[in-house]
Amino acid sequence: MALALELDQVSRSYGAVVAVDSVSLDVEGGEFVTLLGPSGSGKTTTLRLIGGFERPNGGAISIAGRRVDHLPPYKRNTATIFQSGALFPHKTVAENIAYGLRMHAMNPSLIRERVGEALGIVQMGGFEERYPSQLSGGQKQRVALARSLALRPSLLLFDEPLSALDLSLRLQLRADIKRLHDELQFTAIYVTHDQSEAMAMSSRVAIMNCGRIEQVAPPQQIYNEPANEFVYSFIGESCCLPVRIDDGAARDQQGRPVDIRLAEPPSSGAWRLYLRPSRIRIGNEAHGCANTARGRVRFTEFLGDFNRYHLVAGGLEFFCDRAGERQYQIGEEVEAGWDTGDMKVFAA
Amino acid sequence: MTEAALAQSVGSGRLAGISVTVWRAAGIVFASFVTLYVLIPIGVTIAMSFNDGSFIRFPITSWSLRWYEGFFASTRWTQALANSLVIALGTTVISTVSGILAAWTFDRYNLPLKNVIYVLIMLPLFTPGVVLGLGIAIAFGGIEIGGWSFFGSRGSVVIAHSLWAMPLVFMLMEATFRTVDRRIIEASYDLGGRPVRTFFEIVLPMVSTGVISSALFAFVISLNEFVMALFLTSRGTQTLPVLMWLSLRSAGTPELAVTAVVLATAVFACMSLVMVWYVRQLRKLGR
Repeated sequence: MALALELDQVSRSYGAVVAVDSVSLDVEGGEFVTLLGPSGSGKTTTLRLIGGFERPNGGAISIAGRRVDHLPPYKRNTATIFQSGALFPHKTVAENIAYGLRMHAMNPSLIRERVGEALGIVQMGGFEERYPSQLSGGQKQRVALARSLALRPSLLLFDEPLSALDLSLRLQLRADIKRLHDELQFTAIYVTHDQSEAMAMSSRVAIMNCGRIEQVAPPQQIYNEPANEFVYSFIGESCCLPVRIDDGAARDQQGRPVDIRLAEPPSSGAWRLYLRPSRIRIGNEAHGCANTARGRVRFTEFLGDFNRYHLVAGGLEFFCDRAGERQYQIGEEVEAGWDTGDMKVFAA
Repeated sequence: MTEAALAQSVGSGRLAGISVTVWRAAGIVFASFVTLYVLIPIGVTIAMSFNDGSFIRFPITSWSLRWYEGFFASTRWTQALANSLVIALGTTVISTVSGILAAWTFDRYNLPLKNVIYVLIMLPLFTPGVVLGLGIAIAFGGIEIGGWSFFGSRGSVVIAHSLWAMPLVFMLMEATFRTVDRRIIEASYDLGGRPVRTFFEIVLPMVSTGVISSALFAFVISLNEFVMALFLTSRGTQTLPVLMWLSLRSAGTPELAVTAVVLATAVFACMSLVMVWYVRQLRKLGR
């Protein structure tokens, strides 16, 4: 069976600015693939290339085995859910959903059936006659979703659909979209800069940076086995320790020795050690860890579920999180420890 | 706040209270003056149109509708009224369609020399009517197609009036199109709407208030225009303002006042229609 979507060396530049730099991506039917990256990483442009709102400068885009990169949006079997919803303000909810079906010359009774069905799917039954201005932000996005789903496109494109909503609504709609994906098994490309959204919803995540895809993998693999330094530093919180290693002993960038003991120190040279603050243990808990660092508490932050201790060791700064009461005071010397598996080492 | 400061602030409040009253009174006087200033010419004209006498002159000794009867009985006047309306309608159609299309093109596509084109489109609006009227008369005056001569025809006035109305429509619609959310147009394309259908089904309804108001402007501009119409009409195609000017020179009867009232009523009537429609539209969109 043909792939639902195939990007082959797709590029798009605006003058000297390369927005998308020979991106290749294969998506199978039923997959939920998220393009995740900082702003300006080319994720939205990639989505717009797939939807047909931009034309690529090079490469090939195929949807369900058919080359589409020369086709305008109205000849592609894709449907986009925009950030703002982009509902037609002068049409009712029902008319909004019927619009795409009418454009495809479907007969009126079938259209009515599909509109009702789509509204049911997004739990918006009874809102048929409302105008978009009478809906809340979350309701608008549900209608936008219904409008796209009603077409039964081979590809659903999500352009940061939740970023304009407040947190609780965002979490709720996120769960709804995931549930709908499980039920309906549509193929989706989802653009976001919110990594928890990407982690929670996707079957695979594509991390984008500077117009390129850095890594495509399931969320667990992205988190646990980042392909490179960018992916590691972008996903989750991390502390970065830039160190020099001389014969197994660590120094900071100014060359002062720091009290960091590594079980398997890398060869001599400049390195960056990345640690997950949630996996660093501190004080008594650090005893017996394969890797340790001694530092002084610079300041602490109370973050609700845990306290965050900012430590400084020579010229190095890092932080670790610990649940419960605040235990260490500013200026106090403490030991931090972590397992070798919780550390990533990248050449500087 | 200390007691002294409190007392002071209360005192200054009373002072401020007095000056507020004075300002309010001055405001009412000024507003009344402006209102009268605007209404007096219209009011006097309306009063004069019911004058039974044979001249436009105060005092009005007796009232009658005879000049109204005279106006509607005279084919010369009703013909002029018809000419005015036909020309205004033609101007509205031509300038609204071309102005909207030009504005849409301007908004959607990256044209070379955009600023130059903008100035060129807007230029006629700032050209004196005398110049435009004369220019059209000289440039196109000689055109004759199978015995029908362009000069003196209603068509020539429609073309001339559109030169003024089109830039206005263009300016209004260009500003209106800029407020349209690009994503909504993209959403239409995305759902299978081809560009022409998208334009008529999505874009035009979204800018309908702009379309209606610019059409109204075009209509009113044409209805009110005098100088170009004077240059370009002949006896059979004279518009209401032209005929008024000509009869003012021969005889200043209250019939002129009647004409003025009819013209003003026509303008106000279409403005009211649009207002009603506009309010209904706003209510429908629930904004």
